[in-house]
Amino acid sequence: MSSSTSAPAAPAVSAVRPRGRALVSRAATFALALGLWFAPIPEGLTVQAWHLFAIFAAAIFSVIVTAFPLLTAAMLAAAAAVLTGTIAPAKAFAGFANGSVLLVVVAFLVASSVVKSGLGRRISFLVVSAFGRSTLGLAYSIFLTDAAIAPAFPSNTARSGVLFPIVLSLAQGAGSDPFDDETRRLGGYLMFCGMASLAVSSALWLTATSVNPIGVEIARHFGLKINFGSWLLAASVPALASIVLLPLVLYRLFPPGVSATPDAPAAARQALKSMGPLSRDEKVVAVAFVLMVTGWIAAGTLTLDLTAVAFAGFGALLATSVLTLDDIAQEGGTLITYLWLAVLFAMSGQLNELGFMSYVGGRLSAALAGVAWPAAYVALLVLYVLMHYLFVSQSSQVLALFGVFVEVGLRSGVPAPLMAFALLFASSYFSTITPQGGSQNVIFVGSGYLSQGELYKLGALTTAFCLLVFLVLGTPWLFLVIR
Amino acid sequence: MPLPWLGVALLVLCTGACSGPATEPRSGLAPGESRAFEGSWTASGTRRSLELERGHQASILNLSGSLLLTGERGLGVGFQADAIGFSDNKAGGTGQAVWTDEHGDKVFSQLRGEPIGTGSKVLGTITGGTGRFAGLTGEYELHWQYVIESDDGTVSGRAVGLKGRVTAPAAGIPRS
Repeated sequence: MSSSTSAPAAPAVSAVRPRGRALVSRAATFALALGLWFAPIPEGLTVQAWHLFAIFAAAIFSVIVTAFPLLTAAMLAAAAAVLTGTIAPAKAFAGFANGSVLLVVVAFLVASSVVKSGLGRRISFLVVSAFGRSTLGLAYSIFLTDAAIAPAFPSNTARSGVLFPIVLSLAQGAGSDPFDDETRRLGGYLMFCGMASLAVSSALWLTATSVNPIGVEIARHFGLKINFGSWLLAASVPALASIVLLPLVLYRLFPPGVSATPDAPAAARQALKSMGPLSRDEKVVAVAFVLMVTGWIAAGTLTLDLTAVAFAGFGALLATSVLTLDDIAQEGGTLITYLWLAVLFAMSGQLNELGFMSYVGGRLSAALAGVAWPAAYVALLVLYVLMHYLFVSQSSQVLALFGVFVEVGLRSGVPAPLMAFALLFASSYFSTITPQGGSQNVIFVGSGYLSQGELYKLGALTTAFCLLVFLVLGTPWLFLVIR
Repeated sequence: MPLPWLGVALLVLCTGACSGPATEPRSGLAPGESRAFEGSWTASGTRRSLELERGHQASILNLSGSLLLTGERGLGVGFQADAIGFSDNKAGGTGQAVWTDEHGDKVFSQLRGEPIGTGSKVLGTITGGTGRFAGLTGEYELHWQYVIESDDGTVSGRAVGLKGRVTAPAAGIPRS
């Protein structure tokens, strides 16, 4: 077992050296950007919207083809957008003051206290002593823990701040190091399980993410009344099936290297004994987390700001010297995450505000008018999921496209509850499709256990798997329970 | 095809969706000609409200989004639509809207109607424009299918049933 006490400082998304294939990828990126920029502007879009799409599309393309890391792509895109006058500086940099972005950053910093104090190690021993006979057991413990606490957390970003330190401690406790190719796979597997778990548990419970109530509110205007119980009933079969199957599927897609650890539970129990009672720092961190979690759960009732709750916890940890300024100074990976997330968040938001998203959504979905409803249902769902490649916020996509897609589905004859529920569930499970597809992913991405390529590949496969499960199991189940 | 390339495929799809079919000639309206149009507007923006006496609220709104036209294309495929407005839940709403096409040509209109909210109706009077829309007049109506507000003052909505008619000036629209 490793006794490492600090979170990885930087993602495994290392700088790409401009050689051979990378040079070709970079050339292709710039060709795409210039090609789109100078292409005739489609009727119905402004110059501004089209040029921003050219910049944003090129940035995402460059990351997918590994021409650039996310940070490099984001910085170049922000510079291009502002220096060409495509968007105003205030709009381009608005993400740096966004509450969700700041919540991710603070949650990252707070998570390091769990590791540093030793509390994470203790929790990991507890989990391993119960589930640690195999790596799959650890993965299921992540999914089950998340599914159990999800209905109480209205923000899955806040929930990621609770889940991440546990997953990180499990990975480190098992000796997994993001900078060691041999051992990092175990940590990478557990990290992606954390991301996938947040995606599916958010689909299971109406109250597991702030995105769901927004969708329910829009659905209400199509004559649908969805409450906590009806949501749970509709989601139960496909979401629970995903929870059961995803650890196995990810295990096949990204073998962790270590499978059976029959002696681990006994060793963990022994290690727990040798740790002795809780230290002063462990107690402080535990109390701080209990208070933060209470604040996050009660945020809606008490009108508390989620990010301010995180700031309070972070401040308390600094004030009690559990975390020091030196600890924070070493968190370079957090700065990287903050920079790329803030830029992409703002740029995607601007693309939406300029009408590009609803324009594309409207054009794509309108093309399906007149198609037989089962085909339209599947096509709309697939298009809706795929369009998340362009979004950095789940709620932005729901606000921009959910109503449009439901309306087209209704015009094609798709039963309203079927179309609405399918899109609502997709609005949660599509979050893993890209590393930036949901702010709750970002803290896991920043751990450094998975490379950029692995994140995109696993994201696409996981989302495709969930789509399949929700289509094949969810559709007949919805027919059964919504009538 | 490696799965992450689905993202690249999507970019192609988006670009394809944007390209669309060939559209009507740019100055499609003959002098004095009148045409109908219809469509929808998906918008997002900000709302700042002032609470007045009990049950009385006034708000200023700043909205923008994509206005997509369907059916008879008297005005083309769509516009970037921006609007600012004042909404009083007792007195109703007023505002100004600017629709901008892919060439930067604009259509100006004045808005009036019920206070903005789900189900409310708005009437627009087209007062002119620039480029191929210079001198255009007309009227339209729409209703807000839904308006969703969040705690941070952001507001999103979708207006449907957008129907109207425009008339070109008798002297014709000057080519830009």
